[in-house]
Amino acid sequence: MILEARILHQLHGFTLDVKFESKGPVLGVFGASGSGKSTLLHCVAGLARPREGDISVRTRRVLLRPGGVFVAPERRATALFSQDPLLFPHLSVRRNLSYAPGAADQLESEYGWKVVALLRLEPLLERGVATLSGGEKQRVSLGRALLARPELLLLDEPTSSLDAELARDVLGLLAQVKHELKTSMLFVTHKAPELLALADDCLVLDAGRIVAHGPPVSVLSRPKAIGVANLVGVDNLLRLKVLRHDAEGGITVLELGEGLELAAPLSQAETGKLSSIGFYADEVLLCLDRPAGLSARNALQATVTSLDTMGHEVLAGLQLGRQQVRARLTPAAARDLDLSTGKSVVAVIKTAAIHWLEG
Amino acid sequence: MLTEAETSVLYLSAQVALLAVACSIVPATLLGWLLARWNSALRAPLQALLMLPLVLPPVSTGYILLAVFGRSGPLGALWVQLTGEGIAYTTAACVIAAATVGFPLMVESVRLSVLGVDPRLEQVSRSLGRGRWSTFARVTLPLSLPGLLAGAVLGFARALGEFGATIVIAGNIEGETRTIPVAVYTLLNTPGNETAVWRLVGLSVALCVAALMVAFWLAARQRKRAGA
Repeated sequence: MILEARILHQLHGFTLDVKFESKGPVLGVFGASGSGKSTLLHCVAGLARPREGDISVRTRRVLLRPGGVFVAPERRATALFSQDPLLFPHLSVRRNLSYAPGAADQLESEYGWKVVALLRLEPLLERGVATLSGGEKQRVSLGRALLARPELLLLDEPTSSLDAELARDVLGLLAQVKHELKTSMLFVTHKAPELLALADDCLVLDAGRIVAHGPPVSVLSRPKAIGVANLVGVDNLLRLKVLRHDAEGGITVLELGEGLELAAPLSQAETGKLSSIGFYADEVLLCLDRPAGLSARNALQATVTSLDTMGHEVLAGLQLGRQQVRARLTPAAARDLDLSTGKSVVAVIKTAAIHWLEG
Repeated sequence: MLTEAETSVLYLSAQVALLAVACSIVPATLLGWLLARWNSALRAPLQALLMLPLVLPPVSTGYILLAVFGRSGPLGALWVQLTGEGIAYTTAACVIAAATVGFPLMVESVRLSVLGVDPRLEQVSRSLGRGRWSTFARVTLPLSLPGLLAGAVLGFARALGEFGATIVIAGNIEGETRTIPVAVYTLLNTPGNETAVWRLVGLSVALCVAALMVAFWLAARQRKRAGA
């Protein structure tokens, strides 16, 4: 385990209430701003004192309340790295890097040499902090954190305010750090692609609670919670009335309106009530005619209401019964189908592509 | 140039002001830091108490000091027991009066410059393994040093000008407690001393302007550093 935590923390009317354990090595914490992810990070760092909690970093207990255990931040071996490099302005690059106790020796060790090489710090060592570019500052800041030899590196939205190129650089460096230095990390972010790139395990927070926990691919591609779906950009979120269940057929039928029905995987949702489902725009196929001998349960008459070209993809808005749905296709496909607004098409959606959402 | 009496007054004043700053600088720094970083309900009352000498009439401050450090006051009596001598009406009393009235200026100057230090730098320092005191010594103090020095200069200037509290607790003894303001007051009491008064007034103005210029220069440096 890199981290085991049970936290109940209240701050200005906001409550963080979580319980989890993670083997990492990189645990991603995902959520919108205000979801409590930074508070969680501060509790792990020792910069916030939760009212109740039990936190262990790599099996070493750093907090137990009630119970009176509170390990000071400086003795937790959890170095912070954030979007703002926060270098000490009165110290040179070398003195920033050797700031942590023992870091000066680390800098001369094989490990230190690896860090310096990986982050390309050699030419910066004797420079003053004020003369560094944004990217150089980020590299020095990451190097400073790594030379403290943290048990757990805490990444607080490390790329959120950086321009795209710099963000990609930082992410690349973090991936190298993960693989070459085997550093465990707690990675707080609101960017889903970064989570997929770096995290092995993923927590999704919403309003101070964990709404999903698991490998990033499954958490982000099969959103169990409507909050997650909104966060990760599931294109189609619908609230539909449950018409009936077909247990033998393994489907639950939902009402789209105007006589159209949508078959979703069999669920426990109550008949007659509204339920939330979601599916990606990529899961919607468009045909000009109703295909014969189709395995997909849903082949639905639709009208194209909008067409937006974004780079190398076309997002088509469709009217399906009384619902608006989006389909994603290539410009070539849109051209072959001769799509235009007002055109009638058949939308094909595999039952298995439809996910039930909680909430 | 200066007469022997003027040299003595100038020397005593500078000595008192320097000693006052030397005695206050450590506690003022710690209190300024505490007031900037301590989140407690007790902070406001403590701050009010510390600012008191700044707003009280100095004569009242002197009277309170006399009550505390006089022969029958708690600290004064203790001092008499320990050394056999009183504090009141000595150079030490001048230093106490000067330190007391200059103290709030120093605390406030430190407090403001610590507030100018990004607290996240301190958090990072803690997360890198440096404790509270080490972080203070390595990050907070160096970054607020110009403010601290500016506070010391202000305290020094205030101590040079101290009159009200000094005259109550230290009196007017030549060579021992007669600082520049007390000497000016003494000269004013007898007619025909205008030239001598003007010389001392000019001396105070020169000293205070120099001290203030140093303070402003340090404050400007602090702002530049914080912006960098």
